[in-house]
Amino acid sequence: MPDSTRKTVNRKKTRYPVTDYERIFHPRRLAIIGVSAEENGVGFGAGMLKVIMAMGFEGEIFPVNPKGGTIAGLNIFKSVEDIPEKIDFAIIAVTARHVPEALEACRKKGAAGAEILSSGFSELGTPEGKDLERQIKEIADKGIRVVGPNCFGIYCPASGLTLLPGPDLSRQSGPVAFLAQSGGMSIDFAHAGKWLGVRFSKVVSFGNGADLRETDLLRYLKDDPETKVISMYIEGIKDGDSFFREIKAAAKKKPVIVYKGGLSHAGARTVASHTASMGGSRVIWQSVLKQAGAIQVHDTEELAQTSMAFALLPRKAFKGISIVGGGGAIGVTACDTAEIYGIDIPPFSDELQARIGDHLPKPGSSSVNPIDVANPFVAPQTLKEVLLAAAEDKRVELQIIVSLLFHYKTIAHMFNKPVAEVTPFRELAQAVREVVDQTGKPVIAVLPNAKRGLDNLDITEMIAMARQEYIDRGIPVFDELHDAIRAIANVNTYYGGRNYEKR
Amino acid sequence: MKKDKAIQMIGNALRKGRTALSEYEAKQVLAAYDIPVTREILIKDKKNLDAAIQKIGFPLVMKGCSAEIAHKTEKGLIHVDIRTATEAKKAFKEIMAGMEGFDGGVLMQEMIKGRRELVMGLTRDPQFGPCVMFGLGGIFTEILRDISFRRAPLEVRDAHEMMQEIRGHKILDAVRGMEAADKKRLTDMLINIGRIGLEIPEISEIDLNPVILSGSKPVVVDALIVLK
Repeated sequence: MPDSTRKTVNRKKTRYPVTDYERIFHPRRLAIIGVSAEENGVGFGAGMLKVIMAMGFEGEIFPVNPKGGTIAGLNIFKSVEDIPEKIDFAIIAVTARHVPEALEACRKKGAAGAEILSSGFSELGTPEGKDLERQIKEIADKGIRVVGPNCFGIYCPASGLTLLPGPDLSRQSGPVAFLAQSGGMSIDFAHAGKWLGVRFSKVVSFGNGADLRETDLLRYLKDDPETKVISMYIEGIKDGDSFFREIKAAAKKKPVIVYKGGLSHAGARTVASHTASMGGSRVIWQSVLKQAGAIQVHDTEELAQTSMAFALLPRKAFKGISIVGGGGAIGVTACDTAEIYGIDIPPFSDELQARIGDHLPKPGSSSVNPIDVANPFVAPQTLKEVLLAAAEDKRVELQIIVSLLFHYKTIAHMFNKPVAEVTPFRELAQAVREVVDQTGKPVIAVLPNAKRGLDNLDITEMIAMARQEYIDRGIPVFDELHDAIRAIANVNTYYGGRNYEKR
Repeated sequence: MKKDKAIQMIGNALRKGRTALSEYEAKQVLAAYDIPVTREILIKDKKNLDAAIQKIGFPLVMKGCSAEIAHKTEKGLIHVDIRTATEAKKAFKEIMAGMEGFDGGVLMQEMIKGRRELVMGLTRDPQFGPCVMFGLGGIFTEILRDISFRRAPLEVRDAHEMMQEIRGHKILDAVRGMEAADKKRLTDMLINIGRIGLEIPEISEIDLNPVILSGSKPVVVDALIVLK
């Protein structure tokens, strides 16, 4: 049985010319089909043109509409054929029934690929919709790779391609690729990544996935040098066998993080055995992902946080950690959380405790690990000394510093100054960066905010600024300690597992 | 029995419109895949009883065996720890009466002693195809649902992970004076269940429950094979 599957794959490979992903993700000559000058830019095509221009796309753009005219200072071509010379990539936003014709024209113009934003295909469930999608597939098979239809397209910070409503996504590239059928999930994840500190190599929303979908894209991203971490949101897959093969192969090379949605809708089948009754979709997905060496997460927050941790932390498991924070309760709950995720917080030796203790305010502090610095106003330089000392313990492979910056509001009141001015968040971020450089051990910052009400919007703003200071210095930053520890645990599961090829 | 014979037997059962194999047939399929099962003989006539006792030896288990009867325990079709010919005769009579005319016979089976019961099985996921299950067996299977799955084909390390993954994995260690389970043999069994799933598409589900650890050696004591 495995042999016959392999044959099918080989046949498929020879049928397609090699996909030129470079021209798909970094097109120099881009056609946008379905740009209406008359609608004054409210249509999908015109909208896409404007957001791509807002992103500062550096290549040439060729808007197409049979009525011609001009838009945003560009001439609108009446047909794809009228565009001089070849194109690399096309964005198609015409009504469904005109899509096959437009796609075929792009293929003839030499496009390596096209994204089809239009809907009205198999998602309708109608014979017409299905037939149009079949036509797309047939044209794709002749040598143009298709993203979509019914999708938001590709976001690639390096080239300036962006998702439909995303004129303000980051142009900073990074190591994380994201795949989803859902356009909404893709755009939300891309936006969340911007403030969370997740930098993307490429984001692909592939909609109905008539041609390119999870399997091909995994195969591509596995060897893509721009991508170090692959994140995905999956609702359904087309072919379990090839999906399993590709995700397993990808996970051997780089972390693959999966949020599988729709597990609660797992259809109940009629079964006769206990085995089948216990092997519902939820448990099978969980098992298959584990077997493939992928990391399963359970919501979008965990997906983003875990992607960030993989992107920013060294490639290894972190068995022992130290935690520096203010307040005994933080220490106690940190230990509880760490234990659940199988992470040690080893108590320091008496000698090290004494040296750390020398830096801390008395009484009220504790230097056992977790280290309780007693009050939230300990100077960044002191915290730096504490972190440097704690890193001397060989069992400590990673450190977490919990900064209760919101307490600085009290100081702000006292001196009648803005909270952002009295909080040394920049110095703190810099101190942490220096600790990482000096010790070679990563530090994660946690910035909880107990004051999020309308009367404390200044704190929310200050913490957003603090976050950015850490992000700019490549330090992973989280809102809550639990989130940080869970993300570390996911990293540990991957690098501690035996599916990862150590290189 | 060889694999081709097993497949032939399944074909015959399907042609008769049956939806499951009898325990006796199921175990022959398993044996064809090197999965250790109880030594057993199926008899339909009382006059073969003594020969069967000779062959299997006391103590033995006698079960009503028919593809048409599920839930043997509830129907009183299982008699365990039979130690004399008189007990065996009595059991034979009761079982045959309890079969209510269904086609079948009495399975004369060696009694496997062991306090640790495991479960193994196979299901077909609509997305991922044949998936193998491992877990705590006997009455605990449904109560604790302490189970793990892997998609076929299984590699050795997949089988190892499945065993390690259940909460009660320490049951396989040397505990309370019992020997550690033969992990090599358990691994082969799980891999071979996956192989059945890949090679015999006519089989839709398998339940092996209990698989009893006799000392260190796992043996399939009861088996259900559901056909498509």
